[in-house]
Amino acid sequence: MNNAYMPFLSQIQKVIRHTDIEYTFRMHYVGEVKPGQFFEVSVPKYGEAPISVSGIGEDYVDLTIRKVGKVTNEIFENQEGKSLFMRGPYGNGFLPENYRGKELAVVAGGTGVSPVKGIIDYFGSHPEEVTSLTVIAGFKSPKDVLFKEDIERWKSQKMDLTITVDAAEEPGWNVGLVTKYIPDITFENKENAAVIVVGPPVMMKFAVAEFKKLDIADHQIWISQERKMCCGLGKCGHCRMGDTYICLDGPVFNYTEGKKLLD
Amino acid sequence: MMHVDVNTKKLKKNAFRVTKHRDIVASRVRVPGGACNAEVLAQVAAIAREYGNGQVHITTRQGFEIEGISIRDMAKVNEKLQPIIENLEINQETPGTGYASSGTRNVSACVGNRVCPFGNYNTAAFAKRIEKAIFPNDLHFKIALTGCANDCIKARMHDFGIIGMTEPQYDPNRCVSCSACIKGCDQLSVDALHMENYKIVRNTEKCVGCGVCVTKCPTRAWTRSRKKYYRLTIMGRTGKKNPRLGEDFLLWADEDTIVKVILNTYKFAKEYIDPKAPGGKEHVGYIIDRVGFKEFKKWALDGVELPPETIVKDNVYWSGIYFR
Amino acid sequence: MGNLWNKEALSRLLENLKKDYDVFAPRLYAGAGCYSDTDIVRYGIIESFDEIVWDEKSDYSFKEALLPISDTIMYFTENSVKIPEEKRKRLIFLRACDLNALKRLDEIYLHNGPEDFYYKNIRENARFILMGCSQSFKSCFCVSMGTNQAENYDGYAHPTEEGLYLELKDEALSTYAEDISVPRDSQEIQYVKENEETVPIPETLPENIASHEVWKEYSGRCIGCGRCNFVCPTCTCFTMQDIFYRDNENAGERRRVWASCQVDGYSDIAGGISFRKDQGERMRFKVLHKIQNYKNRFGYPMCVGCGRCENVCPEYISYIECLNKLSAIGGNSHE
Repeated sequence: MNNAYMPFLSQIQKVIRHTDIEYTFRMHYVGEVKPGQFFEVSVPKYGEAPISVSGIGEDYVDLTIRKVGKVTNEIFENQEGKSLFMRGPYGNGFLPENYRGKELAVVAGGTGVSPVKGIIDYFGSHPEEVTSLTVIAGFKSPKDVLFKEDIERWKSQKMDLTITVDAAEEPGWNVGLVTKYIPDITFENKENAAVIVVGPPVMMKFAVAEFKKLDIADHQIWISQERKMCCGLGKCGHCRMGDTYICLDGPVFNYTEGKKLLD
Repeated sequence: MMHVDVNTKKLKKNAFRVTKHRDIVASRVRVPGGACNAEVLAQVAAIAREYGNGQVHITTRQGFEIEGISIRDMAKVNEKLQPIIENLEINQETPGTGYASSGTRNVSACVGNRVCPFGNYNTAAFAKRIEKAIFPNDLHFKIALTGCANDCIKARMHDFGIIGMTEPQYDPNRCVSCSACIKGCDQLSVDALHMENYKIVRNTEKCVGCGVCVTKCPTRAWTRSRKKYYRLTIMGRTGKKNPRLGEDFLLWADEDTIVKVILNTYKFAKEYIDPKAPGGKEHVGYIIDRVGFKEFKKWALDGVELPPETIVKDNVYWSGIYFR
Repeated sequence: MGNLWNKEALSRLLENLKKDYDVFAPRLYAGAGCYSDTDIVRYGIIESFDEIVWDEKSDYSFKEALLPISDTIMYFTENSVKIPEEKRKRLIFLRACDLNALKRLDEIYLHNGPEDFYYKNIRENARFILMGCSQSFKSCFCVSMGTNQAENYDGYAHPTEEGLYLELKDEALSTYAEDISVPRDSQEIQYVKENEETVPIPETLPENIASHEVWKEYSGRCIGCGRCNFVCPTCTCFTMQDIFYRDNENAGERRRVWASCQVDGYSDIAGGISFRKDQGERMRFKVLHKIQNYKNRFGYPMCVGCGRCENVCPEYISYIECLNKLSAIGGNSHE
């Protein structure tokens, strides 16, 4: 009988250090996986943690991990060549077909950039598949900016990219919350707009409100919800919001459904 | 017959009080463990109406003091007390003669586990057992029983304070790591619990056996020990000379041991009481002060087979306030 | 058709069953209650059919016989992951409400997402004996929930003067009775037809019910102890725990342990974010799950009306009263 709780061992191909507490672990993985899905990553004897897929390659997935607890502290002890246990991928993830041919705007904050990074990567390298691509990514301060190498690449690609920080001591940064830049987005045809918003709960709430002001309809907006996911299998119950299990039915929701979700 | 000739020494031992009012006495009704049925209340009320002035004082030791009784009516009052004495199962040599002693005070108790969620045993039942074992007795002893380490009866201010304990039993397989016991122990007791590897570790040195963890546990991972345990504190007192709190003598003792130690202490007191003590009364705590703890301990534990888990304090030092 | 079993025959039956089965039933744990000199009735392995408690509702449900409170699911050594050996087969005595709850456990563990390996292993090897209810107990409202009768049981039992009236429907179970001669008899299955409590189930709650003021009073009343979840036969939440052994840090295990949506930490995620900090919100989360959210997802209510949450709450919060209030707001099945 298949034991869905049984993890597999995966080698760390590369560790990309973004900040002191945020690294991307490039894990060996061959198989079906979508941006926005997540894996349960574990260090046996320390525990499991749900981690979003932040990049996808031929034989790897990127998992961007923030060092905030017992499990993630232990994961950070591991380097290239070592291995981590994983199981997944879980959840629905972002489907590129929902955004093809659209004027796509992606707004993400902090670690919320991870689940959408695969989508930005995809349409960045397939610009012909969207009418336009706008990306607004916000971080606390310049030293908290993630995916610096990727951002450099995105700058050279066909997208309208804004990186903003809440506060900066040094000059040369856009300063302000992501919501500040949303009113500046110009959609040629609002009916053809598609919007992805991912970040902390408060940021998502206000970002969606800004898009509503621009007359973007609920069905044009997608969000991704982060909740406690102990099992990823619809069993443990911690991620349930009303009728919905985030791990099975999400974490990505069209806003027509997403707006009904209540903790 | 107008004149009154009463032996006040006998009157006192018969549980009457000589009052500040000439020819007026008060009857002291001892209620072991402070537990009585409504019948006793009605009987006390009847005596107060018929022979007293209608006023009853509820004493600090959980008895009734029926006020305003004529010194001439003591014998009649004693007859009226008989149903109460029988109802409360008080030891008595001659029926109809009232309470047979007053030196040893009423054995008091908090409400205990009959009612209180924190109580670790039936305090009144144990109080009655002690009452049966020690009365009638005129030596000056004060004994109190309390259900848990909260010590609502203030057992530590008594010669013998009996504080209920339970040894918490932990089944890690039933534990869900909710921390209710840890929070409860920290907030209400001595903070003897912590979590290791998602399971609870109990500091057995610190634990006072109050049982709060058991009452807080939502899954029955914590339960009470089958055996009931007691902390015996000794020689606490109030008074003019040196009021002080009782100190621990025995920890994790059982009921039989406590009863034996108390009975042994009566033997000790009889042996060592100051023959010149005024009114033949010397409080047991002062006897030990004179004779020394080691001698008391020798007598107290004589012939006692202690359960293996019982901890006996090697020595006991009291403090308190010295007024002389 | 069934048989009349006297004590001697029953003890032989249990000996036969014990070769392959752990027999779980509600039994008395003397002195194991919350308070001094109080008992509880909960599920445990019985050594005699006499131990089964028939005249009281068990304080805790049957679910711990299928879903251990704390269950090791993996053992780790330095380089390997091992799963525990298969558990022994279980024969579980349970009442109709609990047998209806079994369907709810199956729904989550077998049908909501992929099958649960550990549950399925125990479940496939478990057999169920329906316990006849000759009376309704305090706070039972199975009739209101339609869970006073049950189907899909492997046997049926109720007590008689001599022992038990027992029907063994499952063929495999019948083999354990083959060598024991007991008189045949046919008795009616006992079930509750009426409860003291008739509980209206709210049908059409307004969309804003989650923000309704009905939940506010629970903010101050509920102490978040989780007893209501732990006694509930339909609550299935768990948390994963990894540990390493004190005496050998290279080895350890992964467990899953019952969790409660009323207890702090249930919704905490990385970075110090938690949802539903207020006990009123947690009460709403639980109650709406029992009567609304689960039903929306699976087509029938989660609650089976056993009333255990009602009986156990140390703060005297009545779940039944809460349903009454919700029905007053939203209209109910009895109207």
